[in-house]
Amino acid sequence: MIVLAALAVVALATPAFALEENVYRQFLGLDSRRLVWFLAQMHLFFGAFVLGVPLFAVIVEIVGWRGGDERFDKLAYEFTSLLSVAYATTAALGGLLAFALFTIYPTFMGYMADIFKDVMFIYALLFFGETFALYLYYYGWKWLKSDRPLPQPVQWGLRGLGAIITIAGIVFFFGGFGPEMRTDTRSFMALLYILPTGIGLLIIRDLKSVHIFIGILLNVFGTAIMQAANSWAGFMMSPVGVDAEGVFTGTTWQAFENVLATPIAIHRMLGNLAFGGLVAGAYAAVKFIGSRTPEDKAHYDWMGYISNFVAIIALIPLPFAGYYLGREVYSTSAVMGNNMMGGDFSWTFIIQAMLVGSLFIISNYYLWSGMTRIPGAERYYRFIKYILFTLIVSFAIWLTPHNLPLTAQEVGQMGGSQYHPVLKYLGLMPAKNAVVNLIILSTFFSFLLYRRGNKEGVVSIRAQGRLALVVISLAGLVAVAIVGQYAVTMLTMDPASLDLPPDRAQYLRTIGYLLLFHAAVAVLATGLALTDRGKLGQAILLAVTAFNVAIFLGVHGFVVMEKASPVLRNVAVAQFLQLIACLVLVTTIDIFLFRGAKVVGELNWGRMTTRSQYALLLLTFVITMNMGLMGFIRSGLRGDWHIFGVMRDTSEWAYTPSNYMMTQQVGAAVLLFMIGCAFMFWLGGIASGKAAERDAAASPESDEAPPAPVATMPGRAEP
Amino acid sequence: MTRHAAMQSHAGKAPPAGGEPGMAGTMAKVFAFLIVVLGVYLWIGYAITKMTGGVRTGGGVVDISPESGEAIYWGKGRCFTCHSVGGRGSAVRGPNHGQFGEKFPLPMGARAELRAAERSKKTGEKWTAVDYIVESLADPGAYVVEGYKNEMAVVYAPPISLSLKEIKAVVAYLMAQGGELDIAAIDSDPSPITKRFYDKIAAAQAAGGGDPTNGATVYEDNCSECHSLDEKPGKVGPSLSGIASKGIKYISDAILRPAKTIRKGYETWVVVDKTGRKTVGLKTAETAEAVTITKASGETVTVPRADIKTMEVDATQSVMPDDLSEGLTVKDYQDVLSFLMTMKGT
Repeated sequence: MIVLAALAVVALATPAFALEENVYRQFLGLDSRRLVWFLAQMHLFFGAFVLGVPLFAVIVEIVGWRGGDERFDKLAYEFTSLLSVAYATTAALGGLLAFALFTIYPTFMGYMADIFKDVMFIYALLFFGETFALYLYYYGWKWLKSDRPLPQPVQWGLRGLGAIITIAGIVFFFGGFGPEMRTDTRSFMALLYILPTGIGLLIIRDLKSVHIFIGILLNVFGTAIMQAANSWAGFMMSPVGVDAEGVFTGTTWQAFENVLATPIAIHRMLGNLAFGGLVAGAYAAVKFIGSRTPEDKAHYDWMGYISNFVAIIALIPLPFAGYYLGREVYSTSAVMGNNMMGGDFSWTFIIQAMLVGSLFIISNYYLWSGMTRIPGAERYYRFIKYILFTLIVSFAIWLTPHNLPLTAQEVGQMGGSQYHPVLKYLGLMPAKNAVVNLIILSTFFSFLLYRRGNKEGVVSIRAQGRLALVVISLAGLVAVAIVGQYAVTMLTMDPASLDLPPDRAQYLRTIGYLLLFHAAVAVLATGLALTDRGKLGQAILLAVTAFNVAIFLGVHGFVVMEKASPVLRNVAVAQFLQLIACLVLVTTIDIFLFRGAKVVGELNWGRMTTRSQYALLLLTFVITMNMGLMGFIRSGLRGDWHIFGVMRDTSEWAYTPSNYMMTQQVGAAVLLFMIGCAFMFWLGGIASGKAAERDAAASPESDEAPPAPVATMPGRAEP
Repeated sequence: MTRHAAMQSHAGKAPPAGGEPGMAGTMAKVFAFLIVVLGVYLWIGYAITKMTGGVRTGGGVVDISPESGEAIYWGKGRCFTCHSVGGRGSAVRGPNHGQFGEKFPLPMGARAELRAAERSKKTGEKWTAVDYIVESLADPGAYVVEGYKNEMAVVYAPPISLSLKEIKAVVAYLMAQGGELDIAAIDSDPSPITKRFYDKIAAAQAAGGGDPTNGATVYEDNCSECHSLDEKPGKVGPSLSGIASKGIKYISDAILRPAKTIRKGYETWVVVDKTGRKTVGLKTAETAEAVTITKASGETVTVPRADIKTMEVDATQSVMPDDLSEGLTVKDYQDVLSFLMTMKGT
């Protein structure tokens, strides 16, 4: 047995090395690691912006196209105009980074290039696609603006092709064809590449819809570029197909589809969307502050609102994508996973917790400030103090460390323990999981209040016909399916699969029954909504969700941690699923409750305090700092390995930097990025300004358009 | 201004010479604000570093003492990422190594004495506290504390890669937590059980990447009876001609835990005839009248269907012997792995 066990250990213990001695060089005597880190960070900031903005620019354009609202089209164009200079800068920084890596870390990059040569060529080719799509999308905006229908045969041809691609996407999604791959990779490719392309072709009927299709292609190329680059970053953390001596024996596909590639891609995609939204929001905020006319203030207020809305939509699922990534990191290597929150980066995680908590609090503040521009919203002011209280308490708990760095004297005063008698519980994972869900739920509640600000009363859902009935019922089904499938898992899971004795099954079953209860409440809420008691249904579901995720599972988490700690992960998943189910169903009900509702008054766009615009700016600064820090944590988890477990970093720069060094490095990158943004936006302003002048000269009749003060844009301008 | 005109202006009004009025001042304010925010950010980084320490390197101390072990425990060994020692540290993924609450009334050194008694009872050998702690590092899955998952990392494998000396220092540190510290029992005069574990760790570290040439001989001696290296299947096992593409982990598992990776068509069949005689092996032929089972030894047995009482696949065992690895030295095992990694098919 001992020999067998020892041999098993040996199998895992196989040392692995690079094929040759690592070579390191320096550029102008600089610290090579910090140089590459800085360049990578700058490239990623600009890249995130360039990838994030088109995601929502196209959505805003589609909203304008479908609703026939010209303002959304112009807004989408304005968002896109921010991209042109940023794109060239991203490419230049990418080139600089690549040259730095190949010249300063030749052994490492030689090894990577040997494995990823095919992917690297595809990556470069994808740039052609993205470049053509971007410039065609931007410069072809006016050229492809016409609603003149395309010839029928062309329309039918494109639709036929779209139908084939869409069906292929669905078949691919369910594993009908394609190489063997992880479910998340398959879903990612089906949902973000194949289906959007197919649906984009299906909607083509005129030149404008061709333009939208180009926008979709722009996003497909951009996301594919990101996924290709992520496969390298993922491989460095979770290498596959490498033998005991570091020789790569796998296939390119195996290397591309390594364990962490897709979880990183999902997280980065949502992060880019939030980041792109907030950088565009910062642009709007600066313009708002500098505006002299009510019209300009109204416009940039509206632009800032839309940008922030986009960011919040991406921010809500982001912690869960982060949780998924973290779980996969842990599955890849317990050492790397532990290093994240319990090792070298535990205090860095406290900093990121501060930043993420700030993001939510400032977002809420911005929403509350926005309520001042909504006639009738004063009815809801009284709730703000309760939301604020919940947010602050939750934030404080989230930040509470488990043990405190204390002097010997302080330890003595606390009875000889580094743990505070009460606060120690707040530092544990169950407490943190509970409050992060509560923070998201509170933010969602703020959003609901904002939505209802100027609505007089609810609309009968029964009177809205079949659409309301079908959509709400579907949302109810989705909510039940989300929690129901996991309830089944919890009720049938064998505790032995978690190395637990049979009597620990009760901790899993408790979660299962709670999820069944949540599913039943979702059914009740759906039923109430369909019988015109939607507000009551929403209230019950929100209350039950808050109780389940924050109180019941919060307490259960502590019990589980004591008696069956492996189940703690299941508790976290159960909290997340209930929250998502609640968000889906409550939002759907809300849409129909206030669809076409009477309004107290129109939104007074532009009537915002300057303070609120600084909040928007602060959001951008905070997310940029957080992105830099979190990005480094992910990369730094490898410790002193270039490629985890395969190629050790034998340079003099193989160390985990201090938190101060991390903030210095990221802070410098943030400052330079913001200066770069200011410069780019100024350049973009010159270009679009000249174009506007030309247009104004070419169409003097524009001043004869019917008067409508922009300062009171109708409420439907909200998404 | 009309709405249309206003919209045009939003699409991008050309800045007057010298920039838009007020915009320069706005930018100055915005960047001043950014500098303040970055200042706070840097201050937080600075304050935390001051509190928790600076740059962390992977270097460990190598003399065998509790002090060195402590440095490794809280540093290079990364033990602190899962374990705490009493009130020190905050990790709860693994058992606390100090005295802590009702769950851990004894610190690790004293606790190991009790665990050693349990191990003695179970194995019939006389275990010491040091034996138990060494086992928990050399073979962490052998004894899993109730309520915890069998997920401890192998500390002498990448990425942690502790040397034997560093492991001994950690053992000294853990024994010093309320136990009777005897450096000789840890280092110069280990018990037979401890010595066995040390030998395995040392051999594992020394085996390196293995020698494929010797691996070919090991293969001939131990594997060729059942497997083949060309496209045709072996007598009992599948062809290994392209096994390298499956990766080293797969091959290791296939040798150490053959039942875990049974290839389709090589399931273990258990045929019980009406007299109660059991035949276990690979189903190599079947007709309407009879089933032929090839045993692990290569012997074939044909059982008439009319005589069969039950016939089913046993997913828990493989025809490949479980104890194969026991007949191999660590070096041979490493070598045969290296050899199989050269089998990339045609």
